[in-house]
Amino acid sequence: MSGNGQKWVGKAVPRKEEERLLRGLGKFADDIKLHETLYLRFVRSPYAHAKIANISTAEAEKIPGVVCTLTGAEIASQTQPFIEIAPDAGGKIRDYPLAVSKVRYQGEPVAAVVAMSAAIADDGAEAVQVDYEALDPVVDAEQALTDASILHEDAGTNKVWNGVFEYGDVEKAFREAASVVEIDRMHFHRFSSTPLENNVVIGQWDPKDERIYYWCNNSFPSFAIQFLAAHLNVHIDRIRVQTFDIGGSFGIKITSYPQMAVCALASKKAGGRPIKWVETRSEHMTSSAHGNERTFRDTRVALDENGVITALTSRHIDDCGAYPRYEPLGCVIWSQVFPGVYRFKNARIDFSQAVTNKCPVGPNRGYSRMQHLWFLERVVDICAHELGIPADEMRLRNYIRPQEFPYTTPNGCVYDSGNYPKMLDLAKGLIGWDAWKKKQAEARKQGRMVGIGIGTTLDSGTNNFGQSQIVNPGAPFSGNSQGANCKLDIYGEVVVAVGSCPQGQGHETTAAQVVADVLNITPDLVTVRTGFDTERNVHTGFSGTYASQFAVSGLSAVHGAAQKLKAEMIRLGAHVLESKPEDLDFGIGGQGPEIRSKSNGKSINYWGLANIVNVNSAVLPPELYEVTLNCRYIWRAPFKVPDIKKKYGNLTMTYASQLHIAVVEVDRDTLIPKILDYVAIDDCGTVINPPIVEGQVYGATAHGIGAALLENCVYDEVGNMLTSTFSDYIPITAMNMPNVKYGHIETPSPHSYSGAKGMGEGGAAPIHTISAALQDALFDKGVFIQDSFNNADSLFRALHGEIGQTAKLVKVERRVGSKA
Amino acid sequence: MYPRPFHYHRAGSLPEAATMLSQLGDDAKLLAGGQSLIPLMKLRFANPSHLVDLNFVPGTSYINEQNGAVRFGALTRHSEIENSSIGVRFPILHDCAAGIADVQIRNRGTIGGSLAEADPSGDWAAVLLTQKTEIWCLSPRRERSVPLTDFITDAYTTVLEHDELVREISVEVPGKGTGGAYLAFKRSAPVYPTASAAVQITMEGDICKDAHLVLGCVGLVPVRATAAADALRDRRIDDKSVAAAMDAVREAVDPQADMRGSAEYKRTLAAALVKRAIEVAVRRARGERVEVSHIYA
Repeated sequence: MSGNGQKWVGKAVPRKEEERLLRGLGKFADDIKLHETLYLRFVRSPYAHAKIANISTAEAEKIPGVVCTLTGAEIASQTQPFIEIAPDAGGKIRDYPLAVSKVRYQGEPVAAVVAMSAAIADDGAEAVQVDYEALDPVVDAEQALTDASILHEDAGTNKVWNGVFEYGDVEKAFREAASVVEIDRMHFHRFSSTPLENNVVIGQWDPKDERIYYWCNNSFPSFAIQFLAAHLNVHIDRIRVQTFDIGGSFGIKITSYPQMAVCALASKKAGGRPIKWVETRSEHMTSSAHGNERTFRDTRVALDENGVITALTSRHIDDCGAYPRYEPLGCVIWSQVFPGVYRFKNARIDFSQAVTNKCPVGPNRGYSRMQHLWFLERVVDICAHELGIPADEMRLRNYIRPQEFPYTTPNGCVYDSGNYPKMLDLAKGLIGWDAWKKKQAEARKQGRMVGIGIGTTLDSGTNNFGQSQIVNPGAPFSGNSQGANCKLDIYGEVVVAVGSCPQGQGHETTAAQVVADVLNITPDLVTVRTGFDTERNVHTGFSGTYASQFAVSGLSAVHGAAQKLKAEMIRLGAHVLESKPEDLDFGIGGQGPEIRSKSNGKSINYWGLANIVNVNSAVLPPELYEVTLNCRYIWRAPFKVPDIKKKYGNLTMTYASQLHIAVVEVDRDTLIPKILDYVAIDDCGTVINPPIVEGQVYGATAHGIGAALLENCVYDEVGNMLTSTFSDYIPITAMNMPNVKYGHIETPSPHSYSGAKGMGEGGAAPIHTISAALQDALFDKGVFIQDSFNNADSLFRALHGEIGQTAKLVKVERRVGSKA
Repeated sequence: MYPRPFHYHRAGSLPEAATMLSQLGDDAKLLAGGQSLIPLMKLRFANPSHLVDLNFVPGTSYINEQNGAVRFGALTRHSEIENSSIGVRFPILHDCAAGIADVQIRNRGTIGGSLAEADPSGDWAAVLLTQKTEIWCLSPRRERSVPLTDFITDAYTTVLEHDELVREISVEVPGKGTGGAYLAFKRSAPVYPTASAAVQITMEGDICKDAHLVLGCVGLVPVRATAAADALRDRRIDDKSVAAAMDAVREAVDPQADMRGSAEYKRTLAAALVKRAIEVAVRRARGERVEVSHIYA
């Protein structure tokens, strides 16, 4: 009998989805061809901030093949503005999927044209005449907070949210500090993700049953339908969403609900025909979603005589672009990693968020935490340089100690497990730390600029949605959950369905591994149905694929459902095989997967079991009528609602960690930063599938290196986006990638059934690491790495005194008794 | 991303293509590799009413050597040059061909199209201006050859008349004792370089007997840095003369600030690329085999 107790979780099981995806046989939203489909193209604003004086769609409607047009005014008359998550003024923002009376960012859709073909829709969009009256644009969040030019008159202010996060005794720590480091300004730049597949929506408002159908690639559909239902005045249960293979999201596809709304409304106007919208790359760059930009002002750091940080105060201003949408959730999500990997207990962070005349933001891999982690990493790193403490030593003195886990942070988050010193050790070994230190010293003698940087980060996974109440006490969300269904189908096939919508994370494989272990069969005998479908009955209000949680929420649900099924199979098997439940063995026999009795040697395969329940039920005694072999399980995270006043509570279940080291040389002549060596260490607890984890580490590392050196969403002073094509926005390619040395440790999570932690976002570790390496290379030139984005041009300007001057930006006060 | 409607014409020969251009008027464009034209049409930045497709004209893609010159058919693809044996003896051509954009674009883009487009960020013009290059042009009225030095007159502008097209590019093979090199810095494969430097140097012992330096992407047309060449000519190639050439390059270029970098940075980069290109060119002039191509961030 095979399936002999071999465990599949933890094995390098090849991905079940590989064959399909690598051979071009995947099924993506644009592959869905529906009868009588019409095509939609948006007319977009060339202005960043302007009044709409007039829209004329007459010329477009004359073009043969154009079926109808839609404007913001038409939409506003038949819908509600989208839900705003913000309380108070920010909550008064009126966000419609097409601009109504004014535009607030370049690329904002002002009208839509629906036509028989995509090419005709393009012609139609070009023929729509829009007259604008330009208004003063605001492209900087700090300027926006002065309210000199207001984006949303209904709100009356550009401030979306403000809150102070204060813990411990900050004043006392500063009084007793041996040294105090002050940093005037740091800035985390705006970048995005560039999934291979852009946003795609097919929407149909079917007059036959008054339901709305979506075939799309939104990556958090259960969130999207909450926004869509309220906006469209439709009961949420009348919206069906299906997703298929998705070519990457990285969070950016969470906020495609405005386009989904337009497709439904256009379908209604077009008599119920399906409407397909396939986003172009330029649209994706200018108007899908960017990551959050953040400015850090007036940072003060208290340190003791050993360089241990004792307190921190700072003012953070987040820029969410023209409409908050998923925001201001980011105003609390960063606090999942409030102290990063460090032990300081006293801190006060004043956090604000502003709207600006730029593309709205959306959750982008590392969402809201990476900005904060970068800030902390810069703080630790510059303090080490200023106080003359070696980079590795500084980290070791400040890291949370391995024996302190589970560790409760000053704001009540519980870090489940981790071992940062061990990761540092492993990373130093893999990169050859001592050898590089020697090489660096030699290179410096020759005038070369070589730096070695460390970045230590966290990837917090499986949110407590109760943190939304910290930004808005009225928010009706808390906890987290995920659904799964595990069944023996009518003829005995093991079928698992999950409420996730994977975009390359290998959910089909890992879910099959989990079920195979429960039933003692092989993963190839498990069919996994992924892709969201509201009619598959396995979703909860939190279902989707985002925020590094499938390994915990998704697989816990799968595991729960599989165990439920197994319990039913035991009840049924015990009856059929005339054995005690404890005498039954699960495994694979001559006729496929089966249950076998140890006491009498009888066995029944899965077809036999399914057959009894579904087509031979007269043999069942009434007490087994409740056995369906079709088991739905909802997993719930054991969270409590946080203390909203104190902003205190556990916000996330698991904390995967990353430690990267980079050696970077800034070429003396060309100023091109070149990565000479790179190591990435990952700890996501118990690993379910090593190659999948390793792949995610490489992917996140590439995305982070791209963000650090190549990828930047740039606007000029009047709000023109200067990086709307891949000629100007440079997504990283293999040609730009160094060889990454990968290593990992496992500190199993006590918070998940398997010891696994959610992973995949990677904490944007390369951004912190490369900033630190550049800092190390250029510290003695008087350069302070104050921005998360650095390239040859910005390094040139820093070395010529135009930006990033330590003397202007960083002050150190050393007090009596300070050894440093 | 669909172009505006246009008429498509497939030429059977180059004279026929020229005649079509002449008949169709100013609103007709030639389609060679489509490296620039197709993206522009897709974005509706270029909206020609007529496209005359050259891709089905036989005998327009070739590389052959005659009377000391290499002759390229106008539709010779970058990848054909990259993979041809000519690159071994004439490595600056390989430096250029192998680094243009990415594999897919090199398989489509043509040397004739690149020169006729006269994009300030194009690669071929900078490289071939360091060589003795003739452009053979053809119109319904005449056939003529124009030295490359006279061919490009401004950004995106050449001496080609509306109904005139490039038939062949002829490049004199440099003699013994000379070496060339081309280096461009670009941030990733499909983007235009930030700056590029082409150098051809003739050595006699340790002395530079002749030098040609051309910088790309740092002016409306490729910049021929004659003062920089003077700084090297009849001198030893050493730190001093190279530094003087670099200074002259910084003076000669006229870059525009854009997403690729500030004007000041581009001056520095152009000078740095020249320094490296000189180093490689000198080694090649001495008979060494050195492989270089575009530099990535």
